[in-house]
Amino acid sequence: MAGRRVALKAVDWAAFAERVPPNQRAMYNALKTRSDALTARLAALPEKPPAIDWAFYKANVAKAGMVDEFQKKFSALKVPEPVDTQSAKIDAQEKEAAKSTAEYVQASKARIAQYEQQLQKLKSMIPFEQMTFEDLHEAFPETKLDKEKYPYWPHKPIADL
Amino acid sequence: VLHATRQLHTTQQSLAPLPPLPEKGGEVRHGLIPEEFFQFLYPKTGVTGPYMLGTGLVLYLLSKEIYVVNHETVAAACILSVIIYGIKRFGPDVAAFADKLNEEKMAKAVAVKNEAIENLQTAIEEEKKEQWRVEGRSYLFDAKRNNVAMLLEANYRERLMMVYNEVKKRLDYQVAMQTLKRQKEQDHMIQWVEKSVVQSITPQQQKESIAKCILDLKALSKGAHATV
Repeated sequence: MAGRRVALKAVDWAAFAERVPPNQRAMYNALKTRSDALTARLAALPEKPPAIDWAFYKANVAKAGMVDEFQKKFSALKVPEPVDTQSAKIDAQEKEAAKSTAEYVQASKARIAQYEQQLQKLKSMIPFEQMTFEDLHEAFPETKLDKEKYPYWPHKPIADL
Repeated sequence: VLHATRQLHTTQQSLAPLPPLPEKGGEVRHGLIPEEFFQFLYPKTGVTGPYMLGTGLVLYLLSKEIYVVNHETVAAACILSVIIYGIKRFGPDVAAFADKLNEEKMAKAVAVKNEAIENLQTAIEEEKKEQWRVEGRSYLFDAKRNNVAMLLEANYRERLMMVYNEVKKRLDYQVAMQTLKRQKEQDHMIQWVEKSVVQSITPQQQKESIAKCILDLKALSKGAHATV
């Protein structure tokens, strides 16, 4: 019984709660209630059952040998430990999560690089007062008038005016 | 202000980015004659030089009839005076209005640019925050493993308790059965003894015991009288 005690890692629920994004809050709450219920259940059970007073029973039970038999069988009995089926799955899930988070972080970093680039471009722009129309079209390509698609003035669909 | 800000291409180097054009044009006197002309004549003729030159020129043109005064002169004078009056009176307002239009356009463009900058910055912040959140996934797996461990442990303890309880129940049952049997035997015995004793009291014995009791009572009462 003492050999299988896996020390429970203290989970910092407050820090955990901080990192939960708002759209997954329900799942987090469910997990927390499950955890709390299990902790309560575990705390309610004593670690070892109280010892049976064999001397008392030997003195009082008239049937000869019954108490001895019980005692022998009781000390020989080994309660099987419950088999752990989920830990492997949890480890697999963790690996999966590590992989997908690495991908996500990478994509996120790429996005950040893109944003930074655009930010740099915007910040280093010359002020509008000193720009010509050509400079404006360089800085904001969407302002350029498409003279091939709309060859006649105003070079854009009338609805866009 | 003289055009000191306009830079001439004195060297081979190309000035890029081009410096911005000056805001206002060169200074003019009387709306027509640039200031450089007055500065040019100042060293030789002083302040009044250009004016003397102007007056002289006008008088020369008039007196020599190089410029002939006719009806067109009057028309020119009237038209020019009206124009000059109009410009002097409404000029600044119109200029301000045009400037305002331009300002609005600029302000819109600048607002768009600032908004874009802000959006990008918030987007970067959000991405960083999401990355930070993702780092917390270890908590989730710790909690899950804890749950599993707790479940297993609770299960094991429950089994131990069950075994103990069952064994104890059986032993207690035996002990209880015995005590019950003992008790029943005792009760029965007592009852049987009582019954047999009552039966064995014959009427003769009853009369004798009653008489003895009365004698005892008399003796006691005598003793009681004495004490009282």
